[in-house]
Amino acid sequence: MNRIFNYLSDAIGGVLFYFGQTKLRTFLTLLGITVGVSSIIAIMTVLTTFDKATSGLVEEMKTNVFYITKDNPIEISFGSQGRSSRNKPRITWSEYEQLKRTLTLTKNVSAVVAEEPSDRTISVGKEELKNRLSSFWGGDSEILALYKYDIITGRNMREQDLNDRARVAMIGYDIKEELFPYSDPVGQTVKIDNIPFTVIALLEPKGEMLGQSMDSMIGIPISTFLQYFGGRNWRRADLQLVLESESMDTLDAATDEAIGAFRAIRKIPPGEDNNFYIATNDQLMDTFGDFTQYLQIFIGLVAGISLLVAGIGIANIMLVSLTERIKEIGVRKALGARRIDIFLQFLIEAMLISIIGGIFGVILGLLFGNVVAYFMEQDPTIPFNWVWYSIQICAAMGIIFGLYPAIRASNLNPIDSIRYE
Amino acid sequence: MAKSKKEIISIKSISKIYHLGDNVVKALDKASLSIYDNDFISIMGPSGSGKSTLMNIIGCLDVPTKGTYKFQNELISEMNDSQLANIRNEKIGFVFQTFNLLPKLNAVQNVEVPLIYSSLSRKERLERSKEALNIVGLADRMTHKPNELSGGQRQRVAIARALVNKPSIILADEPTGNLDSKSGEEILKFFDQLHKAGNTLIIVTHEKSVAKRAKRRVEIFDGKITLDE
Repeated sequence: MNRIFNYLSDAIGGVLFYFGQTKLRTFLTLLGITVGVSSIIAIMTVLTTFDKATSGLVEEMKTNVFYITKDNPIEISFGSQGRSSRNKPRITWSEYEQLKRTLTLTKNVSAVVAEEPSDRTISVGKEELKNRLSSFWGGDSEILALYKYDIITGRNMREQDLNDRARVAMIGYDIKEELFPYSDPVGQTVKIDNIPFTVIALLEPKGEMLGQSMDSMIGIPISTFLQYFGGRNWRRADLQLVLESESMDTLDAATDEAIGAFRAIRKIPPGEDNNFYIATNDQLMDTFGDFTQYLQIFIGLVAGISLLVAGIGIANIMLVSLTERIKEIGVRKALGARRIDIFLQFLIEAMLISIIGGIFGVILGLLFGNVVAYFMEQDPTIPFNWVWYSIQICAAMGIIFGLYPAIRASNLNPIDSIRYE
Repeated sequence: MAKSKKEIISIKSISKIYHLGDNVVKALDKASLSIYDNDFISIMGPSGSGKSTLMNIIGCLDVPTKGTYKFQNELISEMNDSQLANIRNEKIGFVFQTFNLLPKLNAVQNVEVPLIYSSLSRKERLERSKEALNIVGLADRMTHKPNELSGGQRQRVAIARALVNKPSIILADEPTGNLDSKSGEEILKFFDQLHKAGNTLIIVTHEKSVAKRAKRRVEIFDGKITLDE
């Protein structure tokens, strides 16, 4: 056992000395590993902060709400898939109205048009909202129930508001705090892109999700939205439909009913695919999960390639180091080093080089990942499991790429190598 | 040489045959040699005489093709690589013509190298290395790197390294070959001291003046031992 410690400390001393002697070469070798590892760690740090933020979201979104939209809002489509989605018809107002009439298993339905975030100017008198509005939408009277907003003061929009395209607005708590700090906003006027709206409701604060305030929002009747903000031909605008089943138990039945009803409205013959997208929150979260998984695989691949290149670099530097140290190996062998001793010395050196590179990579990756997380307004985090994996990967790389040089070193003949100049 | 002394090395009729293409080279031809405790032997011969081959075999760096070699009754000629390494590590102290110190290590660390491959603790290693440097009179040069030492001092570090494992024999290959005459003389005087202190010394050389310092002289020519007195 002592023997192991002896040449371990000998090898560490050797490596440290070697670093001092061949600074540039060692630096370049380390760089490859450092880049590979830091990219893994940076991405994993960002994904971990993201996971932490979304795990709350998943709980929050485990509801009996589902959506009908033209496309999957999260899906990233490639090639032909992307083209076919462009040919899908918009979801129109008349389709929405027909659907609303047919559904029986659905508690709330609303058509929504939304800008998230929105760059509209929001003002009261001369006072303007400083930050960008996170959400500006048009919906109908059931939207508040669907989006789970409660009213503090004021009233929900009515059928009449929708029919009249009334200029009424429901505002989130952030808007009140900034533009109506000392008074009840209900009944007062707020301007959206200089168009005056009467505030009819102040909504209960909901806090943050994914670093976005849920209370920096304004909602108005969808008819009003389409008239003032939706371009000319609002009857042909592309809508999103938000629906809610009676309970979690009837969610599947309600989505099936909605699919059937919507296919009937669009007269899609049996056997043909839906030309619209329908998804529950769960499914949306799943596509999001898929996305992060693809990202992980992709990053894994990139990091893998860069680590492979780095590994070849290690093998190379060890072989160079070997030819420079043939005499040393001969001397060590003459003085009693066995094959295994020389083999382990070289292997430990290769491992140390790659682990040191890995440690730099971890430090850099954590820094970089957390800087990104900071700008995404996430809490700093350390993906401990990935730090641990990276160090293991580096050690394994040291072993794999140090193996051949170590075998060659251990097989050198002491008589010839001691005379080598 | 009194035969009552303990025999350390017993070489019986060893040959070393190399095949260089179609040529068969007999580097050693049925050479026999016995070395006893506290011997001070010089092995002399011109280049190509088989002197180096004999030294490599005595030093357990190589094994004979034929014949037997026993070291303290252990049959070296039948040993594998790692057994040979252990013998070299524990029983033989090497001193080389070109010193062969590791340039990156300081004096103490160089002396420590053989101990790395033994089972001593770090503390013991350091103590023994310092002790060995004391013996060669370099207590004040412990942390000097080889390139900060004179040739004579380097060879003394190498001797300390040879002594550190308390070997049964010290095998010196042209120990004064790379030194000026003054430093060479110092080293040879030091060998005398080591001999008086009870060590067994084998010096391989081609210089008569060096060979004369030994108490027993062996000459080798064409792979055969031609003189042993």
